[in-house]
Amino acid sequence: MEGMFCLGCDDLLLKHIHRKETNSPPDVCLFVSPAKQHINIVGNQLQMNQHHMDTALNFYKMALIKHLTRGRKACHVIAACIYMVCRTEGTPHMLLDLSDILQVNVYVLGRTFLVLARELCINAPAIDPCLYIPRFAQMLEFGDKTREVSMTALRLVQRMKRDWMHTGRRPSGLCGAALLVAARLHDFRRTVKEIINIVKVCESTLRKRLTEFEDTPTSQLTIEEFMKVDLDQECDPPCYTAGLKKKKAQQLEIEIKKKMDDVEGEIQEYQEEIDAELESSRPKLRGVYAAYAKGEDEDELRAVAKHFGKDLNELTVEALIKLEQKRPEDEEGNQEQEEDGDFPQRKAPSLAFLLGSMPSSATLGLSESISSCVTDEKENDGAADSGELDLSGINDSEIELYLLSDNEVKIKTALWMAENSTYLKEQKEKEAKIAKEKALGIYKERKPRGPNRKHAPIRANTADEAIEKMLEQKRISSKINYDVLKDLNVKPCASPARKAESPKKERPAAKLAGRNRRPSQTQLSLSTPLSTLGKRLQQYFLFVQIGSSNPLPLPVEAPASGVVVESGPVVYDDVPGDEEEDEEDETCVSALEMLGSNDYGCDGDYDDGF
Amino acid sequence: MDSSNDEALDIIITNVVATFRTRCHLNLRTIALEGTNVIYKPEVGKVLMKLRKPMITASIWSSGKIICTGATSEDEAKLGARRLARCLQKLGFKVRFSAFKVVNVLAVCSMPFAVNLINFTKNNRPIASYEPELHPAATYRIKNLKATIQVFSTGSLTVTGISLLTRLNTHRHIKYLTPFYVQLRRHIGLRD
Repeated sequence: MEGMFCLGCDDLLLKHIHRKETNSPPDVCLFVSPAKQHINIVGNQLQMNQHHMDTALNFYKMALIKHLTRGRKACHVIAACIYMVCRTEGTPHMLLDLSDILQVNVYVLGRTFLVLARELCINAPAIDPCLYIPRFAQMLEFGDKTREVSMTALRLVQRMKRDWMHTGRRPSGLCGAALLVAARLHDFRRTVKEIINIVKVCESTLRKRLTEFEDTPTSQLTIEEFMKVDLDQECDPPCYTAGLKKKKAQQLEIEIKKKMDDVEGEIQEYQEEIDAELESSRPKLRGVYAAYAKGEDEDELRAVAKHFGKDLNELTVEALIKLEQKRPEDEEGNQEQEEDGDFPQRKAPSLAFLLGSMPSSATLGLSESISSCVTDEKENDGAADSGELDLSGINDSEIELYLLSDNEVKIKTALWMAENSTYLKEQKEKEAKIAKEKALGIYKERKPRGPNRKHAPIRANTADEAIEKMLEQKRISSKINYDVLKDLNVKPCASPARKAESPKKERPAAKLAGRNRRPSQTQLSLSTPLSTLGKRLQQYFLFVQIGSSNPLPLPVEAPASGVVVESGPVVYDDVPGDEEEDEEDETCVSALEMLGSNDYGCDGDYDDGF
Repeated sequence: MDSSNDEALDIIITNVVATFRTRCHLNLRTIALEGTNVIYKPEVGKVLMKLRKPMITASIWSSGKIICTGATSEDEAKLGARRLARCLQKLGFKVRFSAFKVVNVLAVCSMPFAVNLINFTKNNRPIASYEPELHPAATYRIKNLKATIQVFSTGSLTVTGISLLTRLNTHRHIKYLTPFYVQLRRHIGLRD
């Protein structure tokens, strides 16, 4: 049953045509009657009264006139119209209900609804959770006490509203929480699961609402107090309070950090004092060593540097600091080996000590990476612009990291093949099929259709005016003979028959986009002059002929006559190709040629078809 | 107070979306098999490649069109895009970096007060729309600046639009809106 509701408008239209209603009122009626059926079906499921359904139909008519139905599934637009009625009238129907009935994503419906509301300038009043309470209460089966429970729940919801729990939240969640509490208040055992099934929110949402309500001062009142007294004090919205808490927590953290830094600083000071004291309490170095201890840095460093075979500049600040830190130990080492004679000898132990205490790769490895990082950053600052790929700031070695080695590639290939085996099989089958079809010569290349371009609506009084304006918009050939266009005439008997035939040739999938394609086929089979018009033009002439004696439902209000029924030869051979954008042009031209009218010539645009 | 608020408001750009073209056909399978940090989506027909240095996620199509998201500034987006192109070059494709264009910018801002969304939407119809069933924020579309602002009840705003590119413009957006907020600010905002 539900599948029916997703029928595109065109399918319903076909049914309509088959019924051969030739005396229907003009203009939009063609689209309206199937829509009316739709609305009635959905409305009955929602138990809406006739008045609402009529209003929904009016909304739909307005949408039609404003071309808001183009490019949208008819069922979406209808659902949006119905929901709009529900909102304006204040009925307790949720968008979720509609999406359940139609089996469509609720956000898609919501999007359509928002667009419609904006375009039709309909200001739907905001949803009040109080509206939903009676409905949910009924579904929860409270029996005789339903009314009382609803009243309690209503009070609760109003309290929640005053406490700012309802902004930005789904109204159904609030209702669920309120009903749960109200039920408990009246000694009804309703489990969370039951409520969830009815209200359609998640368990965690419900729990959260309850916790938030718990935080408000109202929750501290007893039942009697609650029914009588209304606290004046209002609360902050819970997310606001949560945000404030977060801020406070962050501030606390910052303060703690500061204090930590202060404390650390103090500790550092103490440490330094202690160190200084220790040093002063140590036996003083003799003259030689004093000199040795003081003007040390560079000599030592140079020695170290020479040992590692690098330049002095390579050793960065970090390394220096490390060396400095080692110095107290070095001095101790020196003192231990005071007995040794020569200067270089003294140097050697300190070096050995140095090397022994520091892992050799550490400083230099570290300094290497530090320097590379520093230089890397400098590179990245420069970003010159040029046409070709500018490699400035791009470190190639880093990019290498993004690519796998050969071994890894093999492993990954194996893994990937294993994982995607089903997909690969499908691809192979597809290719085999295409190859077979090619061999048989019946290969039809199906290109995916691009999105329909949205055209600005053309306001015109007559058909030819509309055509002229459209041609100005689109760069279609100016060689079209407008006089012939004026003579379009539909022969009522012939066209429905043709319509009946052509849909058969139509591809089985009646996509909504197919609506745009069909006129091209039908026009080709029925008229020469229209076939000269480009495919783009044809899109404007939706159902020009299909309306039989009906004039166009589009802005072209004047009786858009019909089409000369052409008993032309085998246009149907081209029907399969008509789906294709390029080949349409081809068939256009070939029809032209077939019919021997060479006045129009070939437009440059249509060369792609060849 | 509001003018000082304007300067004090920090508008942080959190996402910059950019596209560019490599002018050559890319074999997605090669990229998927030989690159690290890649996710291959054969159903959709694209490869997602994530870079670390500017934190960027790129969607790569076989036609050579690439969309780069996740950068925090225009320059970063460009750098990331060039990195990506270089990476593809190394994989063996004849990549040319062309038609780089920033397509969308998303910025986040926070008001020091909470906002009553229902009143806000009532006063600003039809520019503002609020549908609690669908999204907790009210959407406000500025036509001439071509930007969309999503207002949450906590007072945080999300501003989206290409016009956000120049720093000046972001402030313009906020200045544009401040008078509305003044109307609707709750008292509690002032308390703190």
